Amino acid sequence: MTISSFEHDAIIVGAGLSGLRVAIELCDKLDVAVVTKVHPLRSHSVAAQGGINASLGEDDSWEAHAFDTVKGSDYLADQDVVEILTKEAPRAVIENERWGTAFSRTDDGKIAQRPFGGAAFPRTCYAADRTGHNLLHTTFEQALRRGIKFYDEWFVTSLVKSDERVCGLTALEIATGEVHGFTAKAVVLATGGFGRVYGHSTNALINTGDGCALALRAGAPLKDMEFVQFHPTCLYGSSILMTEGARGEGGHLINANGERFMDKYAPEKMELAPRDIVARAIRTEVLEGRGFEDEYVHLDLRHLGNDKINERLPGIREICIHFAGVDPIDEPIPIQPAQHYSMGGIHTDKHGATPVLGLFAVGEAACMSVHGANRLGGNSLLETLVFGRVVGQKVNEYAATVEQPDSSCVGQHAFDMREHLQTLLLHEGGDSPIDIRETMGQTMDVLVGVYRKSDALEAALKMIRELKTRFENVSVGRSDDKFNYALVRTLELENMLDLAEVITMGALMRRESRGAHWRLDYPERDDENFLKHSLFTKIEDYVKTEFVDVNLGMFEVKERKY
Amino acid sequence: MMFRIARSRDGGSITHYDLYKIDLKKGMTVLDGLFQIQDRMDSSLSFRYSCRGAVCGSCSMLINKEPRLACRTQIADVKNIDLKLKSFPAISKVPTGWNPDVEILIEPLPNMPILKDLVVDMTKFYATLESMNLWSDTEPCESPKTQSPEDRKKIERYVNCILCALCYGSCPVNAERAEYVGPASLVKAWRFHEDSRTPEPDRYTTAATQSDGATLCDLIMNCVKVCPKGVAPGGAIRKLKKL
Repeated sequence: MTISSFEHDAIIVGAGLSGLRVAIELCDKLDVAVVTKVHPLRSHSVAAQGGINASLGEDDSWEAHAFDTVKGSDYLADQDVVEILTKEAPRAVIENERWGTAFSRTDDGKIAQRPFGGAAFPRTCYAADRTGHNLLHTTFEQALRRGIKFYDEWFVTSLVKSDERVCGLTALEIATGEVHGFTAKAVVLATGGFGRVYGHSTNALINTGDGCALALRAGAPLKDMEFVQFHPTCLYGSSILMTEGARGEGGHLINANGERFMDKYAPEKMELAPRDIVARAIRTEVLEGRGFEDEYVHLDLRHLGNDKINERLPGIREICIHFAGVDPIDEPIPIQPAQHYSMGGIHTDKHGATPVLGLFAVGEAACMSVHGANRLGGNSLLETLVFGRVVGQKVNEYAATVEQPDSSCVGQHAFDMREHLQTLLLHEGGDSPIDIRETMGQTMDVLVGVYRKSDALEAALKMIRELKTRFENVSVGRSDDKFNYALVRTLELENMLDLAEVITMGALMRRESRGAHWRLDYPERDDENFLKHSLFTKIEDYVKTEFVDVNLGMFEVKERKY
Repeated sequence: MMFRIARSRDGGSITHYDLYKIDLKKGMTVLDGLFQIQDRMDSSLSFRYSCRGAVCGSCSMLINKEPRLACRTQIADVKNIDLKLKSFPAISKVPTGWNPDVEILIEPLPNMPILKDLVVDMTKFYATLESMNLWSDTEPCESPKTQSPEDRKKIERYVNCILCALCYGSCPVNAERAEYVGPASLVKAWRFHEDSRTPEPDRYTTAATQSDGATLCDLIMNCVKVCPKGVAPGGAIRKLKKL
């Protein structure tokens, strides 16, 4: 078997909205290719429901959007990055509308906007409750229009560095089981979040944080990993997302006593308080015995009526019928919080550059940081399209300053990776990946979830490290070279274990409560010590931790109340 | 509950069927069952997956001889479903030994080459998007176009297509005519034609009415029956045929 290598100016890993938008920005300037473990249309961006924020309204402004974002972040977002996000938002939405996205409309034909959690104006543009689907299909069409090169169903196995610069990567071609090398001046990680570290997650099964783990191993720091968003309203059982738009359209949260309980937690905003606050409220109701079956509460849409549900929330209705046997027109929806979004990710500057030369990151995989300690709904789709363009421009500038690396820099690495995978495949009688994966998921759900405390986090860290040791003896099981998904899922598990460790380390060292990170033993926000980003850098076999400053400037740090 | 699953190690054709006993839990989908097999019984079983929520279109396959998304198919319901599809060999020919009372039959989506087990080669399906130029040609501009809610409603059904290819796999014409572009790309062409914002709507209908397009459709309507998103490609193709 020969190991061939491929050469491009820039390689983008991941073909969700972020990756596609970077590719579109670069395709007429550089020889660019997208390497993705699933066909682009199967990326998790497709599942985003509620919408994309932009201050299009006459009374609205980018400053108001920025303020809501910073306050929502519990003041941990970098305000200079939020400025870019919110200033560029209308441009990003208009661009996608012109490309063909079928946004829902107002009576006078404008892009319709709905209220969303933590926002002072109805500024969330939407395409029914299938906004991600519409944006992804449209953006993919535009990528096809431009003839962008895709390597579909390739799993990236390592980043390759030479002279402290990234010069390419190695990747497993899933269809054949062969490992190849890719040489490039720049690599952009656009691999999305790592929700599947948790057992209960709204995320696609493919959201295993591969890019974050690759970056960590290549010496690029991860940032704010302890900030994991738990979405308040996920379908009980399968954890499939029930969009915040359901509350934006007027849905109520009801406990087992029939009470609309949000009046106790956010009397003004009620159900439209930010996600961290609503998720904690639901957990508290259940923990204090006011849940159904001690597990869930109800999301009641019945009063919205047939027409509104069918017009604004058709996807939600369809999911409820098919996955829970519940028609929200007739019955309330059983919901509970589940992992939803990774605020943390690969540490980058506001242009997506990591401290490792030639390595960039964008979207949920990156932490720039625009979401700080808690992301507002409607800001993640926005981040992909705004920063896809920004990062693309930066990569173009960078590529002009460096020589194409010699392809020999990846050849040996591809050869070594192939041998490593063969050894892994031949190992028999070891631990089974499913046992390790399930224990990891349960550990993170129970011990590193909505509510955290010191002893639970210590126990979690011990367990994750034990699982990492067990993973060294893992057996993938008998299979073929072609489409060996058991191997792919084992490599994903290896990535997730590295991230689970870092998330837990971050949760332990942040002895305060801020945004989505809530410590029962430190229930106050502590700006004096922790108005800082956490950073995690792998140095040989340990992870170095430190805190770095947040970029403030535009808005004064205040108490966060809704 | 048992799964009888078509196997093909080297691709090309189904070589044999393997039988697995599923530990059935409440609310379990066919996709959950496939993962139970890959995780606990047979790591060599290959199938595509991603969202597990019927929005990504990865897990299209033939379940009890009907093209379905594995993630949206409850194991407990499979026996009671009958889409009443018009028959063609891939969905009428039953493997010997299959006992529908106790076994769910799972096979790769028809009308595409098998690559491995339940994984099929979708190259031709995707290629029509490019050969028919199925994208908007609009140039960048500082303001969005306007569109009335009524005009938006005209394309609602069509933009819901997730390109899962169940229509392609269910179509007797696709089974016989290798050149037929299939229902999904035709409906996408119609989507752009019907969009009030499209500057040159005729280019899409021209692309859709070539000799490999709508003319080949026999209005069998299997596509309408299998579509998991209510797109009803057959309705759009009927309109294309009348042009």
